[in-house]
Amino acid sequence: MSAKANGLGRWYVIAAPYLWLLIFFLIPFFIVFKLSLSDVATAIPPYTPTFSWSEGIGKFISQLDFENYTFIFGDPLYVNAYLSSLKIALISTFLTLLVAYPMAYGMARAPKSWQPTLMMLVILPFWTSFLIRIYAWIAILKPEGFLSIFLIKLGIISEPLQIMNTTTAVYIGIVYSYLPFMILPLYASLEKINPSLLEAAQDLGSRPWRAFWQVTFPLSLPGVFAGCLLVFIPAVGEFVIPDLLGGSDTLMIGKTLWNEFFNNRDWPLASAVAVLLLLVLIIPIVIFQRQQEKVREAGR
Amino acid sequence: MNRRFSWFNATSITLGFAFLYIPILLLVIFSFNESKLVTVWAGWSTKWYGSLLENQALKDAAWVTIRVGLMSATVATVLGTLAAVTLVRMGRFPGRTLFSGMIFAPLVMPDVITGLSLLLVFVALGFDRGFWTISLAHITFTMCYAAVVVQARLQDFDKSIEEAAMDLGATPVSTFFQVTLPIIAPSVISAWLLSFTLSLDDLVIASFTTGPGATTLPMKIYSQVRLGVTPEINAISTILIGIVTVGVLSAAFITKRQSDRMERERRKAFGAAG
Amino acid sequence: MQNFRDALMAVVTAGNPQANHASSQRAGPRTAAPQSGFAPWKNPSLSPIVRFEGITKRFDDFVAVNDVTLDIYEKEFFALLGPSGCGKSTLLRMLAGFERPTQGKTIVAGQDITDLPPYQRPVNMMFQSYALFPHMTVEGNIGFGLRQEGMPKNKIAERVDEAMSMLELRQFAKRKPNQLSGGQQQRVALARAIAKKPRIVLLDEPLGALDKKLRQQAQFELMRIQETTGTTFIIVTHDQEEAMTVASRIAVMEKGVLVQVATPGDIYENPKTRYIAGFIGDVNIFEGTVAAIGDGCIEINAKDGYQFKTRSSEPVTVGQQVWLALRPEKIRIAHEQPASAINAIPGKVEDIGYLGSISHYHVRTAPGERITALRANAAHTVERPISWEDSVWLDWPVDAGVVLTG
Repeated sequence: MSAKANGLGRWYVIAAPYLWLLIFFLIPFFIVFKLSLSDVATAIPPYTPTFSWSEGIGKFISQLDFENYTFIFGDPLYVNAYLSSLKIALISTFLTLLVAYPMAYGMARAPKSWQPTLMMLVILPFWTSFLIRIYAWIAILKPEGFLSIFLIKLGIISEPLQIMNTTTAVYIGIVYSYLPFMILPLYASLEKINPSLLEAAQDLGSRPWRAFWQVTFPLSLPGVFAGCLLVFIPAVGEFVIPDLLGGSDTLMIGKTLWNEFFNNRDWPLASAVAVLLLLVLIIPIVIFQRQQEKVREAGR
Repeated sequence: MNRRFSWFNATSITLGFAFLYIPILLLVIFSFNESKLVTVWAGWSTKWYGSLLENQALKDAAWVTIRVGLMSATVATVLGTLAAVTLVRMGRFPGRTLFSGMIFAPLVMPDVITGLSLLLVFVALGFDRGFWTISLAHITFTMCYAAVVVQARLQDFDKSIEEAAMDLGATPVSTFFQVTLPIIAPSVISAWLLSFTLSLDDLVIASFTTGPGATTLPMKIYSQVRLGVTPEINAISTILIGIVTVGVLSAAFITKRQSDRMERERRKAFGAAG
Repeated sequence: MQNFRDALMAVVTAGNPQANHASSQRAGPRTAAPQSGFAPWKNPSLSPIVRFEGITKRFDDFVAVNDVTLDIYEKEFFALLGPSGCGKSTLLRMLAGFERPTQGKTIVAGQDITDLPPYQRPVNMMFQSYALFPHMTVEGNIGFGLRQEGMPKNKIAERVDEAMSMLELRQFAKRKPNQLSGGQQQRVALARAIAKKPRIVLLDEPLGALDKKLRQQAQFELMRIQETTGTTFIIVTHDQEEAMTVASRIAVMEKGVLVQVATPGDIYENPKTRYIAGFIGDVNIFEGTVAAIGDGCIEINAKDGYQFKTRSSEPVTVGQQVWLALRPEKIRIAHEQPASAINAIPGKVEDIGYLGSISHYHVRTAPGERITALRANAAHTVERPISWEDSVWLDWPVDAGVVLTG
């Protein structure tokens, strides 16, 4: 509120990032929407109609139609891709939570002097390339990869594992890449819980396991919620993981969009796919934004 | 409180970190493998690193990536810092909800959507695609991360420190440069480093917004990975991991030493009891 | 006996020896204001240095400050007193320029500064959190304001040194704020606020973070600095003892409204409302109606059946609801029934609070009222000491109480 006193300068500060995001983040969505109503063409750019002042806006609009959408809804391939993306994202979000919770819990209860180091060890993989981390799993999961070799040597299995190019590999890839996004908010909310609350619960006769479900877990729910959103939303539109680890039967919408755009060069159809993907995600994104805003307000 | 690891906590942390780090360790180890087979150890060698140096296309891609990274991290940090100041210090203004939406949404927006929509805006604006369009795209999505990092620091910053500066006669602009910026500098530096790394890592958005002649390292790696696992990719990955690890560790080390020094000075000023 | 009581009254009204009590009067030359004649607010030819004119501040639908009009004069040590949330800080922040009034004008030295930004105002503030710049040394902090003026370097060094020696900070010149103790930080914050030699220094709960002993020291230091620099100080505090100690005048605020502006003595002796009487010092309050009016005194029929006679300048009418406020130290407590039947109540001692030099006696009357009386613990008391469950008499002269109508 302090800067309110000088009006003009304030607007300069706001305007730079505001205009930037308007031009490069918000307006592009309208262009995507417009293009999703166009038709594919063998031209540069590869779609029609292109807007020109000479022909006027009326003619331009008259050439737009919902053909791409009817096409998408008419072809089970696309509908299945959406549904399977949601399913894969949902399952892998849950799996990530299962892996992340004990880790975050252990970190929050670790000796105080250890916590910064543990935090850094969680963040470090997040700073290393996504692509490289997925690549590392190919060598592990492929039939003649490390995992098969290891398990055969232990005598647990006799035949090489068939994980690579399956949906299982996609689950592993998503859990692995998004683990830090889940651990960090979980840790933040678990670390805030006053340990004397648990002591009080136990003092009042609650066994440790019940104390956990009645005290710790409910108090960590904001972290669980934030972590799940951070994993679920980008996972729905994931491209690299299903492309590199998943097989031809792993349908994900991000991959479909990529194929329409790069392989079929059908920009209007790719745009329609993007618009529908955005519609699926708009509610979780708005919830996420509200939540961040709340955290920000609480921090004041 | 003198807490110690319980058996359960120690196990879950160990298993968790094993899951996080074993794949990376295997990748690094096998970059020094003599054999062309990535999963069978055949002796120690650095020959794959040597062959990297002769790969001109890879070196070109690396150079493009670094230039894009430097360029976009710098602009994104400036814009992100302004955005953070707007979010934390400007109170309410018309369009505020939209603004905070535009800051937070890109953090979770699937890359394919961001990439496609940015490409279409570049086409609509008639930009030549290449180095500049990749940079613009990277600025757009990394500035939101930068904003979030700086915002976190600004939030727990005592606002009366800025008020004190203005009360003593500093204009808002000089208050920002003399007081606010020096205090939030560590977070601005981390914002830059984060933006730079994100730009370095990005495959999808760069693939959409690139044009002829501008191939980034992730694009190069991706096209090779699709053909199969090779020790050369292990080697280049190891170099990238090494750079990031050294960077993050030294940043952490510097912060730690700084806070230790401050603590020592404080102790010295008050005696051991303080 | 009579001598003892007179002595006690003299003690209470003239200068109180009770060190830690709320009613402790102020030391120093200026605080004996009526004698030294420092009372610019009584001089109609003087114009105030600060004038709030009908200031109102609304945050959404919450009215933080409601139509405040107030004059503050040069060289005053002025206190804004009230509980947290009463609007005192908001009023101060409007004077500093951090908040803008919704309505009204702020005038400093004849100039309307309502629309000036903070960095163009001739006031400097000492913040509750001190707000020291963590990345600058003590010197750097104190010199910050001077550097903004573009003062030559050697001149800045001179002024910084002056401020540092005034507050005994020279030895810490090169230290950073986090290497200083709380008391030292507080002194740096004050030095920084006075370094620019502003006409007005604002202090927002400046001693709130200090412990009690340090706070008393710091209060006298504030008074010393205020006197040597001859600056106008405006302090915001919720601590009535602090306001009584340091201020030449106190403005008591409640829920955004100014309730009373007066010298500490006046506020203590003649509070305007029950709220003020209760806020500053301990007080016994009897509710009743006016029964009769005559020869400068009024008679009150108290709710619980007693009849009181008291002197009053308050314009009242017969039958009007009033409250009689009585300070504990003005109530005499004794075993024997007093000679005069006026203002005398019997009761039983329920509780005794021993505070060293004085004791508080909580007495329950027959109708169930709880009254606090106060007595000095003189070493040679001839009387038998008063103890728990004793039957006692309470009485007070007609000029002991204050009649309140609100």
